[in-house]
Amino acid sequence: MRTGHYKETYGELIALSDSGVAWAWVAALAAALVLLPLLVGNYTLSLAVSVLIAIVGAIGLNLLTGTTGLISIGQSGFLAIGAYTNALLATDYGWPVWASLPAAGVLSGAISLLVGIPSLRLKGLYLAITTLAFSFIVNYVILYAEPLTHGPNGVFLNDTTFLGLDLSSDRGLYYFVLGVAVLVTLAALNLLRSRIGRAWLAIRDHDIAARAMGIDLVRYKLLAFAVSSFFVGIAGGLMSLQIRFINIDVFGFLLSIEALAIIILGGFGSIAGTILGAVFLTLLPEAIRIVLSLFVDPQAPAYTKYIYEIRGIAYGIVIVVFLRFKPDGLIGLWRDVRKYFANWPLAY
Amino acid sequence: MSVLLEVSGLSKRFGGLKAVTDVSFNVERGQIFSLIGPNGAGKTTVFNLISAVLKPTSGTVRFDGRDITGAPTHSLARLGIARTFQNLAVFKHESVVANLLVGMHTHLKSGPLSAMVFWGRTRSEELRARERIEKIIEFLEIEDIRDATVGTLSYGLQKRVELGRALAVDPKLLLLDEMVSGMNQEEREDIARFILDLKEQLGTTVMMVEHDMGIVMDISDHVCVMNHGVKIAEGTPAEVSANPAVVAAYLGTRREGVLA
Repeated sequence: MRTGHYKETYGELIALSDSGVAWAWVAALAAALVLLPLLVGNYTLSLAVSVLIAIVGAIGLNLLTGTTGLISIGQSGFLAIGAYTNALLATDYGWPVWASLPAAGVLSGAISLLVGIPSLRLKGLYLAITTLAFSFIVNYVILYAEPLTHGPNGVFLNDTTFLGLDLSSDRGLYYFVLGVAVLVTLAALNLLRSRIGRAWLAIRDHDIAARAMGIDLVRYKLLAFAVSSFFVGIAGGLMSLQIRFINIDVFGFLLSIEALAIIILGGFGSIAGTILGAVFLTLLPEAIRIVLSLFVDPQAPAYTKYIYEIRGIAYGIVIVVFLRFKPDGLIGLWRDVRKYFANWPLAY
Repeated sequence: MSVLLEVSGLSKRFGGLKAVTDVSFNVERGQIFSLIGPNGAGKTTVFNLISAVLKPTSGTVRFDGRDITGAPTHSLARLGIARTFQNLAVFKHESVVANLLVGMHTHLKSGPLSAMVFWGRTRSEELRARERIEKIIEFLEIEDIRDATVGTLSYGLQKRVELGRALAVDPKLLLLDEMVSGMNQEEREDIARFILDLKEQLGTTVMMVEHDMGIVMDISDHVCVMNHGVKIAEGTPAEVSANPAVVAAYLGTRREGVLA
């Protein structure tokens, strides 16, 4: 516990963090992230890009599910919309990435209102099923609207650049995605300390009281859908930039479960938790691969053949273990550890 | 004194059940107005009709010269009506400050884009909101718990936070639904003192539904009594407690000849 710490201005009360130590760590992390491409190889760098994209998408989901309490298991649908919008606009219509990526977010946000409208009357499981159905509809539309989406053939992305940054190189893409992830993180943190973030939390905790305080439920639930899906659409667009060739198989149901597992692992409603969750869960299959390679030959067909199943099982275990033993996620674990050391050697 | 809230001919049916039948009364500005009655008398239903949580079957509610019958629930805060709930309705995972700030919702204007940037107008209005919240914290004497998570506080303190959240709306009319039920003597006296201070310092009109006759008789200016969904008496605390119909509703009537 910090003592002898007095705030002298109201500005300090609404700052993201008033601790110099915290800002110093953020600066160190920023420096490490900027220097990362100079220190590691291309494979690690592409893993880092996957982590950053997962952060963008999971922040989007956490605003909807963690903050506003509207459970969505149809995130793969919005990722698909974002990825296809970005890829098709870039390939078929020649849009530059500074236009096609925001367009991916905007279209995904706009379409989310279609799912958002039934959500005004549905809660919990019913809403979750609606979003799931939505993601299947998206997949079918993409598959069969062949003149527009290339259907089952998928879309290849051309090489693109952004402000002189070559997005087809690992390093160029890394810096681009890092920039987007930082912007999305800051935007989400700012939203959460504004009237809008508070309105969402109020709806999650007690919607009748929220209404009595003047919060229009229709407006704020739809806003949560739009903002969340905007970020998820951006994440989809970034995915298309990373994998360069997208087809509908990429956006399976497991992707939605992975997104949900990230925010459960990280902690509902917490941006820092989402980042922790995205880092851990994206690197989990990698960690499993490394551990397994100690025991079995990494080239063994058993591992490569069942990689998809192993990931699914790992996500399932993470969800069950955290819901049972640590429902507030890694960020809750971190708070406990911090409290323990602050009070040490006393128990409380 | 002028009339702030005018309830006329208000009725509410739930299917065949007549919860409230033809209730009319006026609440004047600056008054502490109590609505009392035995369990099931329809007091909370009247409250929910006024605060637009329920829509009346018939009758009108006028507030500050404006017809608010059937208005959307969320529009009332902007007009200047705030309420607390009979059961705890705090945002229990949030801090006390965050709870109070939700009450300021209608006084803040920033949209999603400016909130994402959090600079200029958004920042300055957040600063103003935070400053005003401190005044409410001081008024309710909850300085030491301002950063506590509301769910971890005692019942009495949670109710006080809920009162603070309603005050953050800066209401002309404050509706308190059984504020002191489940509180100990000291907590009850604190709440009574806050209500009187509100009336004295801010001129807020307070309407309360209350079971605690001590607080009703001590601080009310005007009392309205309901039983079985109809109004049976109205007047000053002294008039009401001397009214035979009220005594009968609370204590029952003597049936002559049963024991004799």
